[in-house]
Amino acid sequence: MESALNAIFEVLSFGAIIVLVVLGLGIIASMMGIFNFAHGEFVLLGAYTTYLVNGAGLPVWAGMLAAPVVVAACGFVLERLVIRRFYAAPVAAMLGTYALGLVIRESVRGLIGGLYISVPEPIVGSLIVGGVQLSKWRLAIVIITALVMVGSYLLLTRTSFGLRVRAALENPSLARASGISTDAIYAVTFTFGAALAGLAGALVVPVFSLFADVGMRFLILGFLAVMLGGIGTFEGPVAGGAVIGVMSAALPWAVAPVLADVLVFVIAIVFVKFRPGGLIAVRRL
Amino acid sequence: MMNRRRLLQSAAWSGGAIATGIGSWVIQPKWASAAGPIKVGIATDLTGPTAFSGKTNANVAKMVVKDINNAGGILSRPIQLSIADTASNESVAVANVRKLIQRDKVDIVLGGITSSMRNAIKDVIVARGKTLYIYPQQYEGRECTPYIFCTGPTPAQQCDELIPWLMKNGGKRFALPSANYIWPHITNEYVRKVIEKNGGEVIFEEYYPLDQVEYSATVNKIMTNNVDVVFNTVIPPGVGPFFKQLYEAGFGKRGGRLSCIYYDENTLKINPAYEIEGLASCLDYFRALTKDDPVSARIQAEYDKQFPGNVLFAAGSAATGMYRGLKLWEVAVKEAGKLDRDAVAGALDHAKIAEGPGGPAEMVPGQRHCRMKMYTAVAKEGNYQIVGRSEGLVDPKAC
Repeated sequence: MESALNAIFEVLSFGAIIVLVVLGLGIIASMMGIFNFAHGEFVLLGAYTTYLVNGAGLPVWAGMLAAPVVVAACGFVLERLVIRRFYAAPVAAMLGTYALGLVIRESVRGLIGGLYISVPEPIVGSLIVGGVQLSKWRLAIVIITALVMVGSYLLLTRTSFGLRVRAALENPSLARASGISTDAIYAVTFTFGAALAGLAGALVVPVFSLFADVGMRFLILGFLAVMLGGIGTFEGPVAGGAVIGVMSAALPWAVAPVLADVLVFVIAIVFVKFRPGGLIAVRRL
Repeated sequence: MMNRRRLLQSAAWSGGAIATGIGSWVIQPKWASAAGPIKVGIATDLTGPTAFSGKTNANVAKMVVKDINNAGGILSRPIQLSIADTASNESVAVANVRKLIQRDKVDIVLGGITSSMRNAIKDVIVARGKTLYIYPQQYEGRECTPYIFCTGPTPAQQCDELIPWLMKNGGKRFALPSANYIWPHITNEYVRKVIEKNGGEVIFEEYYPLDQVEYSATVNKIMTNNVDVVFNTVIPPGVGPFFKQLYEAGFGKRGGRLSCIYYDENTLKINPAYEIEGLASCLDYFRALTKDDPVSARIQAEYDKQFPGNVLFAAGSAATGMYRGLKLWEVAVKEAGKLDRDAVAGALDHAKIAEGPGGPAEMVPGQRHCRMKMYTAVAKEGNYQIVGRSEGLVDPKAC
């Protein structure tokens, strides 16, 4: 019983971490049709910002607040300078963003000396619930993820800004004819996606420590989640992220870990084979 | 359109780049001799994920070579250092190491951090290159190719004293969580033997993908099976989250003992100090030794003076193996009186040095591995405290 409760919590919290990372990736992929291979490095930049602010003597949570802002600014600049030239060529966009990611990753690696550096949690310790120790910070991540998810969903479905974003995705020429600047919309959407990545990096860095490749692992899981969830909706990638996160944390409880790692991919690929559109295939947003 | 002048310019430029090579540096000695310099090649990861170790290796080589040159060189000849970047990438490495051998014609190559790197470059050096090779990193043992000398500790050296200590200061129930590659597999074979010989028990031995970062299932197994000692060979990036989850589950609080034999001053920073309080490691050098060993203190201070910053002189980065390797080779060349490969290898086979980081060292004749002093240390509030010292030099039990 204790062990089951513990398992559920750990699996849930890892699922939340993956959802958090996938959120920005999914929004950019769904709303703009761009597969942002630099997403992992945006996560890294969020983590690095948190580390820098904390290293300057300010509390960790200040760094966590600064991270989305800083990464959003980086995202905005990159969108204006580079990404916007790729909207017509999605394959070139993948290569371009991959190159950007490489530059960011290797720069950060140089700056931190290629080391692994610990960043403290703002909330230390564990809660004891029913005889099980639950990490307070992991619990906080679950709650923040839920809030961010609901917030993003409302923003895209209930506001006039969300309506324009969806219009720009659905039919760009008609949107432009109706007086919507799709150019500006794309810039804002990309910036928003980058901010979410920055927030994700800031929140997970105490759990995984800061190192140059922190985003890499999540990027692969993230793309798997987007593929599994389906592109074109807000819920798709989020649902995909939840499934991938839960699977990769839960499978090692049942089978050998080396096998579990492969199984996640096999299950996802088999699923997509039978349902090519992903979990949520309809363009509802 | 490219005109002829532009074409010639860029051809000249790229020709220059090809001739001098990207990713290699030559450090000339300050003085010369009629016979020309002796050429030492360092092949190590200056870029990529293992660069933090590679940079340490290059620094130590520069420091030792400068030392030797200031003291009059070897056989009255100065040493010229050629450093090639192996870039944490085996295919890049093979090309750059070939340059060391064919273009720079070095008399010896030292370097390589991972075992896969050693395996990739050793053929280029010793078989086709007909050159001596010294591998400085602590590793799984079993490298018995002629003309390859290993100056880092083997599993026997790291475990023979540590495991009995862990049983006394932890318990008899061991878990062996490990990354899925060659070093943990072979190390665990040896660890299991030592545990069982001393009356302990291995509760589980499990392997994880190298980039796994979620360990709740493993932590649960450790907690529910009442494991006393976690003998960890999970590597970064997984090791940080793994130790954190163990701490959060209360493993340390209920008296569990963590142990990890590659843990040095660099890896100590992966987790906040309280999460790994009491972690036991066993290496040939810790910075904590400088308090009571004047030789170690001198070497450490010299390194810190020449290379301040975050590239630390740490045993896990093969700093000690590199120091030892160069010094043993110096002794061997002096004894041989020439640079002929067989003559130097013959002298290196029984070479000894009286002073080095952590203490003296000597080659075990016929084994091409090094006897050295070993130290058991425990993490205390972000630093190491030495809790055990080997009586004399510990045997590598290799080859």
